[in-house]
Amino acid sequence: MKKALLIAEDISELSELRAVAAELDAVEVEAMGPEDLQNTPALERFGLTRLYTSTSWSEDPAESLGKMLAELISGSGAELVLGVSRKRLKDVFARAAQILKSPLLTDCLSATWSDGELVVERPTLGGGYVENLVVKKFPTLLALQQRGRQISDLSGKAPEVVRLEGKFSGVRAPRLISSEAVSRSGVDLAKSRIIVSVGRGFKRKEDLKLAEELAKLLGGELACSRPIASDMGWMPEDRHVGLSGKWVSPSLYLAIGISGQVQHMVGVRNSRIIVAVNNDPSAPIHREADYSVVADLYEFIPALVRELKARSARPSG
Amino acid sequence: MPVIHVFVKQVPDVSTLEYDPSSLGPRLEKATLRLGEVDLVALEAAVRIKERMGGEVVVISAGERVNELVLREALAIGGDRCFYVSDPRMAQADSWVTANVLAQLSLRAGKADLLLCGEASSDQGNYQLGPRLSEILGYPCITYATQLELSGEKLRVRRNLEDKVETFECGLPAIVSASLELAAPRLPSLLMIRAASRKPITRLEISALGLSDAMLESGIVRRSVRVTKTSRKNQVLKGDTGECAVKLIESLQKEGVLAI
Ligand SMILES: Cc1cc2nc3c(=O)[nH]c(=O)nc-3n(C[C@H](O)[C@H](O)[C@H](O)COP(=O)(O)OP(=O)(O)OC[C@H]3O[C@@H](n4cnc5c(N)ncnc54)[C@H](O)[C@@H]3O)c2cc1C
Repeated sequence: MKKALLIAEDISELSELRAVAAELDAVEVEAMGPEDLQNTPALERFGLTRLYTSTSWSEDPAESLGKMLAELISGSGAELVLGVSRKRLKDVFARAAQILKSPLLTDCLSATWSDGELVVERPTLGGGYVENLVVKKFPTLLALQQRGRQISDLSGKAPEVVRLEGKFSGVRAPRLISSEAVSRSGVDLAKSRIIVSVGRGFKRKEDLKLAEELAKLLGGELACSRPIASDMGWMPEDRHVGLSGKWVSPSLYLAIGISGQVQHMVGVRNSRIIVAVNNDPSAPIHREADYSVVADLYEFIPALVRELKARSARPSG
Repeated sequence: MPVIHVFVKQVPDVSTLEYDPSSLGPRLEKATLRLGEVDLVALEAAVRIKERMGGEVVVISAGERVNELVLREALAIGGDRCFYVSDPRMAQADSWVTANVLAQLSLRAGKADLLLCGEASSDQGNYQLGPRLSEILGYPCITYATQLELSGEKLRVRRNLEDKVETFECGLPAIVSASLELAAPRLPSLLMIRAASRKPITRLEISALGLSDAMLESGIVRRSVRVTKTSRKNQVLKGDTGECAVKLIESLQKEGVLAI
């Protein structure tokens, strides 16, 4: 492996992508990101030869960023282009890949060299399966799932900083009318030890209080299935677990009123213990749980809360 | 009146897909075939525009061993005609090949004002078709749409990113990729299913699309696909709610996963 180009939104992404580039034995690594990346203290520890910064990276439409990225990739001669799989990045990567006649693999779990071939693992078929793909064309773009990998300090010189002048004129792009930040819980579910997760079995937003109280008693975090966040808007997007959301690995995952479709379960498969509370005995979640309670959550959760409270009031023993 | 092209893919139903216990690979030959979930959302959005403004909905599809009965479902939901390619080469197609084929199919199917696709297919989930079509055809593309309004020649689309909600406007022609949340797909009535049997379906050969070998050459080779199963205890707790609560707490304490 010769040269890699990392596309990072911030310093934690840069660190993660640099770790992957190191695992892939990249001999030369360049990075690109927003302007403030160059102010990172001790930038030399990332072992980069060059850092491209762009003032317009976070504002420009994907239509122009795709062109800019394609030019940067061909200009730099990078064979491997790495980014963290976020919606906007996938959009820009797909465009650059099309311009360069290149493959893009999204939501990658891992990338390794095996007998001189680049082998990438990614989820497929709704997340119930993992596929192994061999890359045949370079440059190749990989959008990787964020895993919290970090580089240890690499010795090196400070990178040469190159400012990119964005703005491709004559690009037909949609006009941005408004952009509102959405509320984020800010909780890193990937690190939570106990997770209480809610699904469409809850009939009203107010009813989520039941689960909140339970989570508090257990010392856990609240999470949800995709429709609760994306459809109903009852919880912030960063609490949604599954194929298109967070992948979690707590010691206890308590799923309440969640049917257990494959796209949800892929995100919780690494939990040590899974508990399902669902009143439908044929719901798929019961087949993927360690402990199942076939009951109406509106009766069972209050009973569970009562019992937990009674126990914490009693002296232990 | 707008002409809308909707891209749909025939996929295995992943909710009922079984795996081979010895190879751990999916039993695709036994799978129920259906249209992708998000594709149906995109189709629903197109049909709603047609119901309001008139025009035409053209269904576009490519795959290996495409079954016309699956495509008929899209016509039953409200597509007016269908153009498709069925070719063994599509089995190895990556997003580059798929986009090249679908763009040419769309051009063969005639002029389009709006091109709609799902943000990702239900099987491969690559999230690339919209932006790649945009590069090929030169039309702007708005991805991950959760709301879409067309009035006259003006398109207004809302989308959710991880940390913000954005609204865009653009003229036609344009490409939109739908999120699951854009529209709840309807189930076709018997009447609609019967009417669909008379709607035209045109099959084109991949060789008739004027694509060079390079444009049909996939950049990846699939080496293996394996199920990711974790074995679970599968204990169903019995008794009334109070008894189940006690049993659950005691089981979890025994597992050592409760702090209390
Ligand atoms: C491309 C794609 C990506 C997706 N990504 C994700 C993802 O990342 N995460 C995700 O979660 N989903 C995802 N989905 C959606 C997924 O397929 C399911 O639709 C979703 O997970 C269902 O959410 P749910 O279980 O909350 O709702 P439902 O499937 O409606 O299940 C609700 C459950 O609650 C039970 N219930 C109802 N009332 C009660 C009661 N009173 N007491 C107890 N139980 C009750 C019901 O029996 C039912 O099983 C994705 C789908 C696609 C196509």
